[in-house]
Order: sequence, then structure tokens, then C-alpha cells
Amino acid sequence: MSLSIFPYVVQKEILDNMTTSNLFLLSFISKNTKKLIKSSQAKRFKSINHIVYADSFSDLKDSRKVYIPCMPKSDYIMELFERRKETENNYFQLNVGGKTMNFRLSAQNLPGTYLHPCDKESAIESVHKYFLDFFGDTVEHQWYQWISYDRDFIPHLPKLSLCLTFFPQSYRTIDVESLEKFFDLSPVLKRMNLLLYSSDLFRPESKFYQAESVYVKLYSENVPTFLRHFQGRQAFLRCSNFTILKLKEFMNRWRSGEVCQKLEYLQVRFDLDGTLQNQFLNASGVKRIDATKKLPTHTLPREFQQPHCMNPDPITSSTYIVRETDYRVASISVQGDKIRFGVWKETEEEFLRMVE
Amino acid sequence: MSSTEQGTSSAAPAEPTTAPESAAAPEVPESFYYVHGKDKVVHKVSAGALQHSALIHGMISNLGYTEEQAKANPFPFENIDGDILQMVVDWCNQHKGKPTPPEDTNLPKQKEKLFDLVLAVNYLEIKELLTYCCKQVAMMVKGKSPEEIREIWMIPTDAEDEAAEKEAKKRAGKEAAGETAAAAGDAK
Repeated sequence: MSLSIFPYVVQKEILDNMTTSNLFLLSFISKNTKKLIKSSQAKRFKSINHIVYADSFSDLKDSRKVYIPCMPKSDYIMELFERRKETENNYFQLNVGGKTMNFRLSAQNLPGTYLHPCDKESAIESVHKYFLDFFGDTVEHQWYQWISYDRDFIPHLPKLSLCLTFFPQSYRTIDVESLEKFFDLSPVLKRMNLLLYSSDLFRPESKFYQAESVYVKLYSENVPTFLRHFQGRQAFLRCSNFTILKLKEFMNRWRSGEVCQKLEYLQVRFDLDGTLQNQFLNASGVKRIDATKKLPTHTLPREFQQPHCMNPDPITSSTYIVRETDYRVASISVQGDKIRFGVWKETEEEFLRMVE
Repeated sequence: MSSTEQGTSSAAPAEPTTAPESAAAPEVPESFYYVHGKDKVVHKVSAGALQHSALIHGMISNLGYTEEQAKANPFPFENIDGDILQMVVDWCNQHKGKPTPPEDTNLPKQKEKLFDLVLAVNYLEIKELLTYCCKQVAMMVKGKSPEEIREIWMIPTDAEDEAAEKEAKKRAGKEAAGETAAAAGDAK
């Protein structure tokens, strides 16, 4: 008795109850099966925001897991192995986008394929192309990579953005210039996580500043320069000291629309300085909402789910500034060892309507 | 509360009861209906249990049968095997008036039986049981390679699909030609 005896609604319900990795395997059975999956699961696939190719720090980069990040548990699709387990012979072959690849199922029933060093890039390209066709080309694909050397393998593929975390110990030996070259050759930079123990910073036109989200530990004197050039959406900075002058300079530049026009969230963490909070409250140009009112909370979605990734904290603050070019509001909170700066989509008028 | 009967009778009001019994409310006698499958074995089922089936519920809700009428007019489901209908009736009785659990482990493990059950349940529109069955069908291929899945679910290859499509086209062409010839004959 075949699956085809069931009407479409039943077939759809069966597929609805399958894991993404199972659907992925099922899609290789025939063209019609793949078509059925794509049409019946269109809504499910449309809800996928992005797919992650994450390397594993814990097992010395032996494998890379491909998954859909979701809460509370990510939905794993497949694995890419960098080392073949010679003891295992239970491989089956699949034609992935015209390329025949050996697969096996893990103990967790996850399909995995071995990437031969000579053929790694084309294998990844085939998998990536297959995913673009299967899940739809609107799904964003992110390549997570712990970078230990600037010669680490990075695939250059369309619609694949990079999330890089630099190993602190190896990074110390890499100078800013070679890092710049590395960025220039890299595809779209989505997120970066690095320690910048250098008095030099990148050139203003560096691709580094175009990364959407950055976590960077840097010398305090470099913070204003970074903030002058950063073009991304989220920045998490760590430095030893941050003064009221630096904060004022940034606020003035942002207010005039000169810097960080796409910025949604900024966090600066510094060594605790109890005076900054008071100095900030007395700074000119900072607007305040009556403390007795109920304040709106600035929140952003948690985009990254790996433990070493930073996500924006919610901000509930009575202090804010307004950008002169479009009247948009930024809530500012200075508490303890952190400054949080969250830009609203709302104009001041709309923002004040949210205050109860 | 179910019984499999052939030719027995029991007194029941025409209106099926749906409300759960409560200590304060006056007890309403439960009404029963009769169904049979391909094997003609008649199953006596309470209206409460039959509520799980949207199809039967829709059929009985406005019937106004007396017990005698219900017994004399069992619902025939000739497309459902007797043992499958028995499974369905048992499930409806077990889950009568109860919230359905997130999983059901009592479903048949054998593929043919499970597939027959899915068809029956889909026909009878028993939503919760259909969901359990579909989950079970999905579980059948967990941890299997594509070739193993193909075997289990008997999915044709691309070549088989193409051959079937060609055959269907050929048949449709022949039928169309036959119709044209018949129409021409009629015209003469």
C-alpha cells in the first residue's frame, strides 16, 4: 500500500508531522515527492527566518551542523563532517544538486555527509543550492565560524552571510591590516565577535563596519572612532573606560543624523564608574519622561542563539534623545557598568503616545 | 460502553446526548446509533462517542431517530473493513467525553492496517485520531534512508512517475478519440 492512496490533506498532515531532516531526506526520493513537500510545507518553510551552518567549537571542528534556529530547541537538518569515520560503511548516496554525495545517519537520525578536503567548497555549494531551492531563496543562510587563522576556509556563496567569532589567543597575533584583507575577501558579514587589542582601527571604508551585528572588545580611545564609522544595526562594545564626553559626542552625532543611521541597539560595557550615571542625567539635550508614568520598553528579537552570541537587552528608561532628521527616538539607559541605547521606529510624537 | 450486536434492541431517546453528566443535573438517558462496515457486523455506539466523527455527528444531529429507527437503519460504511471500524469504534468509546492525550500508543504498528485506519478515519472525519495516525505514519520513516523510505511508503521513482504520466496521457487521448468518434456516429 502506497502513500499515494491518501488524499492531499492526509499527505500534508503526515508531512506536517515530520522533522525537517526527514523532509530533507524524503525530498531525494523523486521529483514529485519534492514537489509535494514544497507545496504542502510552503507555509512552514516561509516561516523560516534563517538557516545556520554552525561549526562546533567543542569537537575541534570535526563537524558542522545545519539547523533552523528556533526556541526552545533548534531544528537540525543535517551535518557536514570534516573527517570521515573509517569504521562506518553504512553510507548511502544522494544526488545533491547534481553532485553525488555519501551520506550516513547519525545516532540521532540526522543525515550527515563527509566533505573531502579537495572537494569541500563545491560540496558545500551543492548543499547550499539545494537548500535555496528546497526552502526558498528568501531564507537567509548564515555561516558560523570560529576563526583561528586568517586562512580559515570561508565559502563564498550567494545568499550566505558570515557570523565570525575570532579566537582571542590567535587573534592577538593578527594585525589589523591582514584582518582588513580577510574582511575584504569575505562574503556579506552578518555578525562579528572579536577582541581588538590594537591601538589601530580599521579604515573608515572597511567592510568591518558594515557587519550587521558586532561584539567587539576594544581600546577605550577607539570607541568614538568605531561609533563614527559603524553602519550596522547592533553593536556591543566592551572597553575599560567610557566618559561622559565620549557619550555626549556620540549622542550629538547620532542626533544630527551624522552617524549610525541604521543603528537599532548599542551597548557599551565599561569598568564600573559610578559618576557616569549622574553626569549623564545632567547632560544637555537629553529629554526625560515623568518618572511616575508607565514607560514603554524597547525590545528587539533575539537573533542569535549560540551561547557566545550577544542579544539586545530590553530597555525601559525615562531618558531619550530625538534625531533631528527623522524625529525618531532613542531610549538611553546608563546603569552600573552598561550604557544601553535603543532606537525606536517611532517618532517622538508616536513614542510619547505610548507613555501611559 | 460499546457492544457489537446483530439484531438486538435497546430503548433510547431520539436526541443524542452530548452534555457530561453532573450530580446536580437530571440524568439524560444516552442515545445510541448503529454502524457497520464491509463485514456487516453491526456496532452499537453512543451518540457521545460518535461525536468524534464529524461525518457521523453531522448525519445524526438532525435525524431524530427513535431507538427502533436507529437500530433498523444502521449506518453502512461499506468502504471500511470490519476490524478497522471496530478499532475506530473502540477509540471513540475510549475517548468519549474526555480530552484527547497528546499521544496515542495503541495504534496498529503494521503498515497495511495503519494505512487502512488512516483512510477510514479521514473518511469519518475524526480529526484527533487522524492526527495520531499521521504522526504514526510519519514515525515509520524516522531514521531511514531515502531508499528505505521509498520501500516503506512505496513511492514511485521518477522513471515510474514518468511512465505512469505517459500512460495516463495515452489513455486520455484514446478516450477523447473514442468520444469524438461516438459524437460523429451520433451526428450521422
